[in-house]
Amino acid sequence: MVNPVLLIVVPLGFAFLIPILSLLSKKAAKYIPPIPLCFNIVVSLLLLPRALENPVVVSIGGWQPAFSINLVAGPVGILLSAVVAFVGLLVSIYAVDYIREGATDRYHMLFLLLLTGATGVVLTGDIFNLFVFFEILCISSYALVAYAGDKAGIESAVKYLIQGAVGSSLLLIGIGLLYGLFGTLNMADIAKALQSPSSLPVFVPMALIISGLGVEAAIFPLNGWLPDAHSSAPSPVSAILSGIAIEVGLYAIARVVFTIFGLSIDSTSNFLMFLAVLGILTLLVGEMCALGQNNIKRMLAYSSIGQMGLILFALAMASSYAVVGGLFQLVSHTLAKALLFLTVGYMTYRTHSLDVSALAGIGKRMPITSLAFTIGAFSLIGLPPFAGFPSKLLIVRAALATKECLFFVLIGGALLGTVIEAAYFFRIVQVLYFKDGNTNIARKQVPAVALIPIVIFVILIVGIGIYPKFITGLLSSAAAELLNRVDYIRNVLG
Amino acid sequence: MTFLENYVFYVGAFGLVLIGLFTILVKRNLIKAIIGLAILDTGVNLFLISVGYLARGTAPIYTRAEQGAQPMVDPVPQALVLTAIVIGVAVLALALALAIRLYRHYGTLDLRKITEQRW
Repeated sequence: MVNPVLLIVVPLGFAFLIPILSLLSKKAAKYIPPIPLCFNIVVSLLLLPRALENPVVVSIGGWQPAFSINLVAGPVGILLSAVVAFVGLLVSIYAVDYIREGATDRYHMLFLLLLTGATGVVLTGDIFNLFVFFEILCISSYALVAYAGDKAGIESAVKYLIQGAVGSSLLLIGIGLLYGLFGTLNMADIAKALQSPSSLPVFVPMALIISGLGVEAAIFPLNGWLPDAHSSAPSPVSAILSGIAIEVGLYAIARVVFTIFGLSIDSTSNFLMFLAVLGILTLLVGEMCALGQNNIKRMLAYSSIGQMGLILFALAMASSYAVVGGLFQLVSHTLAKALLFLTVGYMTYRTHSLDVSALAGIGKRMPITSLAFTIGAFSLIGLPPFAGFPSKLLIVRAALATKECLFFVLIGGALLGTVIEAAYFFRIVQVLYFKDGNTNIARKQVPAVALIPIVIFVILIVGIGIYPKFITGLLSSAAAELLNRVDYIRNVLG
Repeated sequence: MTFLENYVFYVGAFGLVLIGLFTILVKRNLIKAIIGLAILDTGVNLFLISVGYLARGTAPIYTRAEQGAQPMVDPVPQALVLTAIVIGVAVLALALALAIRLYRHYGTLDLRKITEQRW
C-alpha cells in the first residue's frame, strides 16, 4: 500500500536537499525537481484506483481522526495532486534551460516548496493544516515573483505579499472562530457538528475564510495583485502561479463551501448565488482588462482572472453537472495557461520585448512555438477540438439545466466574456502569423528541453479535446466527492 | 462594564486587528504598512489564544496520578499560535527583505511614488 503522506514528504525532503546539494555542485540543483515530481505522478496514479472506490484516509501520528491531523486522498485530492505534479514536472523540465540567472538553486527549492504546499492543500483534511500548507504555497510564491530582482518583480511581490498576508490573517481569524464554535479543526468533524450554515455565528467565519482564500483565488474585488505578479514573474513561475496556485485557492474555497459549510443551491442561504454573481463579475472584469492590454504577459494574467471567474461560477451552481464542468475547466485552463506562458517565455526571450506588436512575424521565425501558442489560445477560447471546448460546453449545459433565471442571465455574461476572449486572442494570433515584423530575429526554435513540455501540453490539450471521456469519468467521481458531504464525513470519521 | 471585563481579550484582539488593518490601508510608507502587518498578526494570535483561555487555568500536563480535576487551558490554540507566529515571522522577514530591494530600485519607500505596475 502506498501512503499519500509520501506525496507531501518526498517533494518537501527534496526541496531542502537542494541547498545542501548546491554546496557541492552549482549545476546539480536544476536536475533535482523533476525527480520528486515524477515520483508524485507515479504515487498519485497508484493511489487513483483505490481512491476512486473509497477515499484513502490517513491519520498522522496514529491518533484517530478528529484528534489527529489527517489526509483525505479522495478522487478530488488525487486528481488535483496528479495535475499539480504533472504540470510541475513539465514546467520544471522547461526551467532546466530557461532559468539561468541569479541564485538558481533557490529558485528550484522555492519551486518545489510551492508545489509541496499546493499538494498539501488539496490532500489535507484538517482546516488549520490547510492554512499552513496555504502559507507554504503563498510565501514561496511571493519569493518566486521577486526572483528576478528587477524593478517590476520586486514591486509586484510587495503588493502580492501585503494583500496575501492580510488574506491569510482573515483566513486564520475565520479558523479561530470555527474552533471556538466547534472545538475541533478536523473538517469532517466541523461539518458533522455544523447544522445550518445561515446562522450568523457560522456565517461570519465562512465569510472571513472565503475572503481570505479569495485573495489567493483572485476573486474579483480581491485580485489587484494578480496581473502585476503574474506578468512580472519569470515565465515558468507565471505558468505555475496561473496554472496551479490560483486553482488551488479555488479548490480550497469549494472544499470549505461544500464540505464544511454544506451549502447547496436549494438551501435557504443565497450565498452560492452571490458567489456565482461574483464569478461572472470576475470573468467580465478580467476579460475586459485583457482586451485593452499591449503587454502579452499581462494580457494572459488578466485572462487567468477571467477563467477563475468562470470556474467559480460553475462551482457555485453546485449541481453535479456544473461541478464536473468547473473541474474540467480547471484542468483545461491549467494545461492551456501553462502552455501559453511557457511559449510566451521563449517568444519574448527572442524579441526582448513584452509588447504584442513586437511579436509580429514570429509565426514564421518560431513555427512550432507559435503553433503551440495558437493551440493554447484556441483551447482557452473554447474552440473544438481542444480541451477548452468540452469544459465550456458542460458549463453552459449545466447553467441551462438549472432552470433558474439568474443563471441564464449569468451564462449570457459568460458567453459575452468568451467573445471578448476570442477577440484578444485572435488579435495575437493575427499578429503572430499575418504581420511582417522584425526580420532580424534569428530563425531558431526553442531548445529541445523546453520543446518537450510544450509538445506534451499540446498533445494533452488536443487529446482531451478529441476524447473528453478520457477524463470525465474521473471528474464526475471527483465532483460527486466534493458535493457529497455525508459520505465525506462518514469516510473520515468512520 | 461587565462586557469589557468578560471579553477583554477579544476586545483587545479585534482592536489590534483593526489597528493593523487601518495601518496597512492608510499608511503610505512601506515600513509602516509592514508594522501594520505585524500588529495584525499579533491581534490574530491574541485572538487564537483567548479562544482557549481559561481564567486561573493551568497547563494541561498530567504528571502525577493524584492530580485531580482542575481547570486547564485548551492547548490546541496555543499550538496553533506557535505555528502562526513562525509563519508570521517568515512573512515579515520576506516583506522587510523586499522593502530593502524596493528602496534600492526606487530610492523611496513612499507607496504613492511606486507606480510602475498599474491596471
